[in-house]
Amino acid sequence: MVKRSVVAAVVAIVIIAIIIGAVWLTTQIPPTPTPTPTPTPVLKRTLTISFANVPTLDPAVGSDEASSSAFVNLYDTLVYPTKTGEVVPHLAERWDVSPDGLTWTFYLRKGVKFHDGKELTAEDVVFSTKRFVTIGEGYSYLLSPYLEDVRAIDDYTVEFKLKTTFGPFLMALVRLYILNKDLVMKNIKIPGPYGEFGDYGKAWLLTNDAGSGPYKLKEVKLEEYVIFERFEDYWGYFKPNAPDEVKFIGTSEPVTIRTLFARGELDITDQWQPYENLLEMAKLKGAEIVYIPSGGMFYLMIHTKKAPTDDIHFRKAMAYAFDYNTVVEKIFVGTKLAKGPVSAVVPGHDPTVFQYTRDLDKAREELMKSKYYPELEKYEVEYWWIAEVPDEEKVALLFAKNMEEIGIKVKVVKVPWLTVIDGMARPETSPHIVSIFVAPHYLEAGSILESRYHSKSAPTWEQNEWLLDPELDAAIEDAIATLDMKERFAKYAELQHRIVELCPSLFLFDMVERRAYYSYYVDWYAAKGEGVPVLGYFFDLRLIEVFPEKKAELFK
Amino acid sequence: MRLATYLAKRIGYTIFVLLGLSILIFTLARVLPGDPARMALSPRAPEWAIEKLREQLRLNEPLPVQYLYWLRDVFSGSLGESLVTRRDVLTDITEFLPATLELLLFALIFDVAIAIPVGMLAGRKANTWVDNLVRGFAYIGVTIPAFVFAIIFLLVFGYILHIAPVVGRLSPGVVPPPRITGLFTIDSLITGNFSTFVDALSHLILPSLALALGPIAQEARITRASVVENLNKDYILASVSHGLPERLIVLKYLMKPSLIPTVSIMGLDIASLIGWAFLVESIFNWPGMSRYGIIAMLRKDLNAIVGVVMVTGLVFAIANILVDIIVSLLDPRIRMVERAK
Repeated sequence: MVKRSVVAAVVAIVIIAIIIGAVWLTTQIPPTPTPTPTPTPVLKRTLTISFANVPTLDPAVGSDEASSSAFVNLYDTLVYPTKTGEVVPHLAERWDVSPDGLTWTFYLRKGVKFHDGKELTAEDVVFSTKRFVTIGEGYSYLLSPYLEDVRAIDDYTVEFKLKTTFGPFLMALVRLYILNKDLVMKNIKIPGPYGEFGDYGKAWLLTNDAGSGPYKLKEVKLEEYVIFERFEDYWGYFKPNAPDEVKFIGTSEPVTIRTLFARGELDITDQWQPYENLLEMAKLKGAEIVYIPSGGMFYLMIHTKKAPTDDIHFRKAMAYAFDYNTVVEKIFVGTKLAKGPVSAVVPGHDPTVFQYTRDLDKAREELMKSKYYPELEKYEVEYWWIAEVPDEEKVALLFAKNMEEIGIKVKVVKVPWLTVIDGMARPETSPHIVSIFVAPHYLEAGSILESRYHSKSAPTWEQNEWLLDPELDAAIEDAIATLDMKERFAKYAELQHRIVELCPSLFLFDMVERRAYYSYYVDWYAAKGEGVPVLGYFFDLRLIEVFPEKKAELFK
Repeated sequence: MRLATYLAKRIGYTIFVLLGLSILIFTLARVLPGDPARMALSPRAPEWAIEKLREQLRLNEPLPVQYLYWLRDVFSGSLGESLVTRRDVLTDITEFLPATLELLLFALIFDVAIAIPVGMLAGRKANTWVDNLVRGFAYIGVTIPAFVFAIIFLLVFGYILHIAPVVGRLSPGVVPPPRITGLFTIDSLITGNFSTFVDALSHLILPSLALALGPIAQEARITRASVVENLNKDYILASVSHGLPERLIVLKYLMKPSLIPTVSIMGLDIASLIGWAFLVESIFNWPGMSRYGIIAMLRKDLNAIVGVVMVTGLVFAIANILVDIIVSLLDPRIRMVERAK
């Protein structure tokens, strides 16, 4: 018996000794990395960026920020977006469009290599397009309503046939990423939901890439991180100090981010950090906060088919009573006041459009014109804010306080995102007002006008207004179908004036991405206002420069 | 034989409980607001694509039919496809579970290695400064949730002192050991890679200690109370009066009965460890099953939610069976009661 006790005591001591020893060792010996076949340069240009989640690597599936940023680097597209809304040649050296605007012919650059060394040809473009619209996920909705057929004329010429004219077709093509057909087909899983194409390589593309982009996949840890490394045979341009290796981390936990950032293990943070956290990180030597307009907008969406907000004077009274400045100065610091329904950085925005400002006299004047004025106490405006975005509560409370000043009762309700989506699916369950951020799907005013005010988006979370106006729908469709850019933008401008006149929403502010980053050793074009506000295009890694010697100096 | 019967009974009971749990969580996950198919695809995904996914997930079938299909899939070795990773949930769980198990294992090691000696010591030195100190720390440990410890550890050891790694299971550049158990510490030891073992261990210390502190405090208090109670029992007084050595009295006659309530509580604490792991894994960006579960819940990944809850239930059930066995080994009276039944 004594023997057993002794053994137990010895085991316990050994366990404790191992733990203490290991703790001691970790503070003494740096972990020895397992040697890799390629020699590591002394000062490798590395960059680490955090996102809300780890990217999805299949360009026919993902559409969130992390995934879009990964696609921009792993894959190439036919054209590349610019801030003006025009596109410039990329894989396609040039293109023609038929007089009726339905046939587009693209002439491909020769000698472009995929990451496995195979040359990119028109067949790959055809395969990628068909895969994109067949799977029907991610960004495919941008092309699928318009695309009739796609075919390869020869190895370097590809032709797209459209069902109807689509003005922003070229801009939509920035979401069509070209995959290596042979490589994907070699890795399809049969049987699968796509007939002879099995699973269309979806399982394989979870952890692999089939692109020709400036970076290739080095390591994938599902739900943890992804590492990209520079593709040395890339056909395009790299800035002289572009990173050799880039890591995307999938976490936005404030304490974790702050700790990683302070230790130099994170160079650019995600955009979801609380402002207080960003302020603390910006105090670190060499770091700063950057505010990048992202093209989206924060709206108070007003139900136009429900009493009392169905009355235009009631809506205008609210628009005049609200204190917009407090929101941008105190709540969402760094943002800019909105001007109309389209963000100022989105091509097609009309800067001459009217914007409501706080004027209590005008608010009372409008309220008196409302048919609900005599029985104002009978009506209560239900305002939903999204539980997952705590700052929205401050806007909601400010709104309630402002409305109280003119005698409108507001019931502020905190609602989880999933319930918001469900509630907004039907007019009878939609609230009077809901506050939501919405971003355009492609870089043109037409995208936001369609997703916010066209009847087809009424049952989605992108619209609570329930305008259901066939004339407005027709005008939006006509504008989007217009091929000539100048003419199209003129139509967008007219639509913006028309929408403001209807006052279906309160346009609060243009969205900005707020991030902390080390400006001392990272030269990031987007932070200098040179980024194209298309999701993912703030992280075209080959255009970012990193100076490891400066980093070493900062963290010595 | 008796143990085998007991085990068979417990396993049968566990299967029944897990079946009930599966019905409950399957229903709850599906009655939550929001269309999972629409959420999985983009907001503007065409209706045909959403409908296709709904069909693939059998969401158009009545709830009982969906459940029967799910049960059939489970028996054929599939937990259904995850809407987030687009793989079978079983494949995901197989990948992520070892990380969580490793975290729990180390939390338990800390728990046993600290709670029992500290509780015994406090009990033996009852009402002295040692006891007061232990009790003071125990109160703090019991009242502060694990995620607060996690944040404090992260700030102190990661942010201020920079002496411990703060995210993930291994440092950048360290290649994981060949997968044998999936537990990096064990696999690296088996394959003789000591530097990887040290690196994996250094990543484990903060999250597992953050998880363990609550149970340590709880169990130290229980052990102390039990020791104080047993110290006044007649058989201890008799042992002392017979002049038996103190070490023998403590290790043989005092410790064994004093540990029975501790071990029982430990079974319950395993549930709290698993529960807190959901937050601690998020804070340390630990790629475990709990973090996967949180992502699944936020994105209404139906099959993943059910899969994670079922595996959590299974781990808890197995842990409790083990605890029952240990308790019955520690206390012959429990075996006697079983026999009498």
